[in-house]
Amino acid sequence: MRRVITGNQAVAYGVILSRVDVVSAYPITPQTTIVEELSELIASGRLKTRFLKVESEHSAMAALIGASTGGVRTFTATSSHGLAYMHEMLHWASGARLPIVLVNVNRAIGPPWNIWGDQSDSVSQRDTGWIQLYCENNQEVLDTILQAYLIAETVRLPVMVVLDAFVLSHTAEPVEIPSIEEADSLLPPFCPDYPIDTQEPRSYSVITTPDYFLEFRYKVQKAMEEVPEVAKKVDDEFRSRFGRSYGAIERYGKKEAELLLMTSGTVTSTSRIVIKKLMEKGLSVAGIKIKRFRPFPSEEICEVIQGAKKIAVIDRNLSAGVGGIFAQELRASLYSREERPQVFGFVSGLGGRDITPALIEEAVQYTVEHPQPEGDILWLGLKK
Amino acid sequence: MKKIEIPPEENLGHGHLACAGCGAAVAMRLTLKALGEKTVMVFPASCWSIVPGFWPYSSYRITAVHAGFVTGAATASGVRAALDVRGDDETLVAVWAGDGGTFDIGLQALSGAAERNEDLLYICNDNEGYMNTGTQRSSATPLLAWTTTTPVMQPKENPKKDIMAIMADHHIPYAATATIAYPEDLIRKLEKAKGIQGTRFIHLFSPCPPGWRMPSEQTIKISRLAVRSRIFPLYEIENGRTYTIQEESHVVPVKEYLKLQGRFSHLTEKDIETTQRNVDDTWERLQRRARC
Amino acid sequence: MGKQITFKRESEMPMISVSLGDMEWNKTGAWRTQRPFYEEKTPPCSAACPAGNDISGFILKTAKGDWEGAWNLIREENPFPGVCGRVCFHPCESKCNRGSFDEPIAIHALERFVADFAPRLSKKTGKAGEKRKEKVAIIGSGPAGMSSAYHLARLRYDVTVFESFPLAGGMLRMGIPSYRLPRDVLDRELSNIEALGVEIRTGISLGEHLKLEDLKDYQAIFLSTGAHRSRGLHIQGEKEKGVLSGLDLLKKMNLSKRIKMGEKIAIIGGGNTAIDVARSVIRLGKKATILYRRSREEMPAFEDEILEALEEGVKIRYLVNPIRVGQKDGPKRLECLRMELSEKDESGRRRPVPIPHSNLFIDADYVVIAAGEEIGASFLPEGAEKREGIVLTRRDGSTGIKGVFAGGDLASNQRTVAHAIGSGKKAAMAIDAFLQGKDAEEVIIQHLIGEGPSLSIFGYLHPGERLRNPHVVTFEELNMDYFEPAKRQGESKSAVKERIKGFNEVSSTLSEGVALEEAERCFGCGTCNECENCYVFCPDGSILKREELFSHQVDYDYCKGCGICFTECPRGAISLKEEAK
Repeated sequence: MRRVITGNQAVAYGVILSRVDVVSAYPITPQTTIVEELSELIASGRLKTRFLKVESEHSAMAALIGASTGGVRTFTATSSHGLAYMHEMLHWASGARLPIVLVNVNRAIGPPWNIWGDQSDSVSQRDTGWIQLYCENNQEVLDTILQAYLIAETVRLPVMVVLDAFVLSHTAEPVEIPSIEEADSLLPPFCPDYPIDTQEPRSYSVITTPDYFLEFRYKVQKAMEEVPEVAKKVDDEFRSRFGRSYGAIERYGKKEAELLLMTSGTVTSTSRIVIKKLMEKGLSVAGIKIKRFRPFPSEEICEVIQGAKKIAVIDRNLSAGVGGIFAQELRASLYSREERPQVFGFVSGLGGRDITPALIEEAVQYTVEHPQPEGDILWLGLKK
Repeated sequence: MKKIEIPPEENLGHGHLACAGCGAAVAMRLTLKALGEKTVMVFPASCWSIVPGFWPYSSYRITAVHAGFVTGAATASGVRAALDVRGDDETLVAVWAGDGGTFDIGLQALSGAAERNEDLLYICNDNEGYMNTGTQRSSATPLLAWTTTTPVMQPKENPKKDIMAIMADHHIPYAATATIAYPEDLIRKLEKAKGIQGTRFIHLFSPCPPGWRMPSEQTIKISRLAVRSRIFPLYEIENGRTYTIQEESHVVPVKEYLKLQGRFSHLTEKDIETTQRNVDDTWERLQRRARC
Repeated sequence: MGKQITFKRESEMPMISVSLGDMEWNKTGAWRTQRPFYEEKTPPCSAACPAGNDISGFILKTAKGDWEGAWNLIREENPFPGVCGRVCFHPCESKCNRGSFDEPIAIHALERFVADFAPRLSKKTGKAGEKRKEKVAIIGSGPAGMSSAYHLARLRYDVTVFESFPLAGGMLRMGIPSYRLPRDVLDRELSNIEALGVEIRTGISLGEHLKLEDLKDYQAIFLSTGAHRSRGLHIQGEKEKGVLSGLDLLKKMNLSKRIKMGEKIAIIGGGNTAIDVARSVIRLGKKATILYRRSREEMPAFEDEILEALEEGVKIRYLVNPIRVGQKDGPKRLECLRMELSEKDESGRRRPVPIPHSNLFIDADYVVIAAGEEIGASFLPEGAEKREGIVLTRRDGSTGIKGVFAGGDLASNQRTVAHAIGSGKKAAMAIDAFLQGKDAEEVIIQHLIGEGPSLSIFGYLHPGERLRNPHVVTFEELNMDYFEPAKRQGESKSAVKERIKGFNEVSSTLSEGVALEEAERCFGCGTCNECENCYVFCPDGSILKREELFSHQVDYDYCKGCGICFTECPRGAISLKEEAK
């Protein structure tokens, strides 16, 4: 079934098709329409999901931790301050190895108050032990939710699916919606490792001494290390059923390019146009879309940058004092390699400012013209 | 004297790490007896995150879900939802939170769950302070008490928060106070609560020998004096409206209660009078509510 | 279960910190600095009982409705519960810890209830088994002699009791009016003793029909002939006709002899005999006036008796002392002096001093002198030493003559039924020790209750059973949080106008319901009644039960020694001691 739907509606469809048992959420712009859509579906009786309309994001995640411990499939959606408020519980979910799926609609964190998109909210949760998958369009949003449950329930780690505020969340696009049967054939029912069973009472999340804490964290890391392979399998399986796949990253443009442009989210869609145009002008340029931010796809990136001299990264986020986080992660990935392209870290589009084709071109132009960046942060579109 | 009818099952195992004479350990033993093994109990941070032992062990013979400090009522709401989805409407979902996890940091989640009338039995084990972290004041700490953050030069200036009134005003089907010196009353209330749907709240008062600076063998005595002095009266509230007070025939001045505890040893006669007035006012207010 | 679990490799560990075992391996008993333990202690009532009754023990059984058990428990120490329940002055009640809370337990009324109700349920007491070869002779069938006979028979001796009166019972029969002790009660308890194989030969009096040398067949002899000789006042006219001693009058009445005494009777004395005489005389339709030289406060008669006497119309004139009995025939005229009280004498009572020139005269048809009794010493064998009016005995009741023991009123100035019963028991134990070559004094000391003189034979008869603890429980050792005030239940008394019509018993036995209620008032000082407070309040689940039965054991593997069980034991049956380092 093909329908023209917003990103947030695509999320709701993803949730329905994943047969989520318990949803718990708290409203925040621009996530709100997800909650509304789900409420409608549940109220109309079309969805047997329990929806806990909790009093805060912190409680939303806590409730899902309870429900997931109880052995059922769970979902929540949030944005910005809401995600920040969940922070403690994000750690809890991953430490307890609960395959919760969360949709974060990227939005800047105040002050000043700002309801528009940037990635500061999600990237600042990068150390919470969550898998993070960024989406470029509404189809990918829906597809990624289905994939997210499969990955999460395989490696027993929670997954954050990220989409841009308004540009996706409130923008309608045609989306191919799989049937429930098709979705079921991809995604088997959740089978918990330690379901609550009062016949066999046990204690969960028992306090652990230094004797074993390191080992439990090691296990989280090992699970993260399994993700590339698991996610690839899931993606392959998905392609075989639906003909669509996304990979951890996607390289597009010239085969052997000297200059690479790295983006994530909807900026990638704009970049695709810019890259095409520049290639036509004869520039040796290609694009890399980062879909999976956690675990960071270092190996996948290294595989596709052979011969590149420079990589321009456009970060729609800022780690003040350091710079753009994608650029930072990329630099760290390259450090151990013999061939290390120059990384040009652009920061742009914070607080929902459009990253226009002109700005992207400006970034590429700068990269072409400079043998090396003039600093760790290259501000793009800043009113100087 | 009548023998106390106490269910025989022991659902708190031996070897736990509660301090000698821990009132909460008595409370826990009795509570788990009353609730039985078909219980999932959620534990936001408190002494009870540690008392049952460190991984890979646990003294609980019921299902225990340890949870974040803030999250008792929220986590339990999720567990309840999961069990409902699984078609299990027999298992009781309970929360065991401290006064910090209830009066303070967990109040928002509790209020949320109570307003939604989640099918939970929420037990606040009140030892009137942050005892697990070494006796800091909470909003459950009584007026003029010493804690490490309310030193004797500047003891707690504010009276204890009236959590029962707060819960009553959520119109939950059942709220009750209880304490370990009255085990039959405690067990009766737990069993009554067990039979009710919706959010049920038990305010369970448990003396803490190290935190209250009192000898370990006085735990029950002090629990009883709390009731007799009316600093902690026993009562029930149904649907936020119908009050039943378990009147204690032996009423004693609050001084009798205060004088056994080191945390009140700095109190002057004037302070004791102030406390007595506070107790009298609170008691009067309770009676007013009960009459309405 | 209970094992420690360790992991060498990360791969052996589960994915999450889900519990895999319990904490039973963690023996928290190692934290303990003080150790609680069950220790039954002696209640003050038992320690105060001259007869050595296990008082809280029998009341506990009574409270459970186990009257036969209660009866049997009393009779471990005392064959006369029916008698004691009626005539004992119950010093137990004045020591009862409940007296510091509301009112003491009506112990005597409960004992009487048990004695009256239980035998209806019980089969007759069986014989004690095959007799030993040794024979014991007992002279006197009063409470001391019969108590001794009873315990000796239980110790399987061949016992013969010699009694000078035609009926057994001694002072119980001769000295106590039947409105206080109905004869069927006495007969029942005496026949229970006889049922053990004790032979009573009546009409045989020592000195007159029997000499100690005649008792060569007996390996031991117990003298318990009592104190039957009334003390005189040593005043003019007291030997005249129309003047009789109180005890002699009571004996005559109790042997159903007729006495001509006119209408107005004056009784001199302030003790129980004076009261017994006065109340008996009232029952014969006469007027009784007691003359006592001190005031009401100093009167040695039991308070209840005085009250009942006054109710029944007995007049008591205080602070008068007869100095002469006048008039030969017809009405007597007593010349008295008024007295006043000065400082306390060695008995602790204020000494009466005559007021000069205060002479007054009291007329009476008959004068009874009840100024106390003493022993008749004429029959005493050589070697038995007498001092201060009694036969001198060692701590074990032995006299100067080998194999001869003495007890009861004969050997003591504490002349009560309970003391007599206790001394009979002591003699039985001493005689057994003597015959079995044991150190009698040591046996006695071992079985004293508290600091004595109360003595228990239970542990002696049942070696291996716990001896009664010398620790006597004080009121402060009890936890009053567990007791509610409850009114003391006593026996009801018949109306005064009914009482004075004859010699029917004044008070009636408690009903079953009332007895249960009263028994439930008992604190049970020092005795566990399985209230289970210790079990309920233990934070560490360290009070052991075996298949839901209370075991009186502490699980020292886990007990942290908090002391809650010690504090919350309502009745002081748990002790706390410092843990050995």
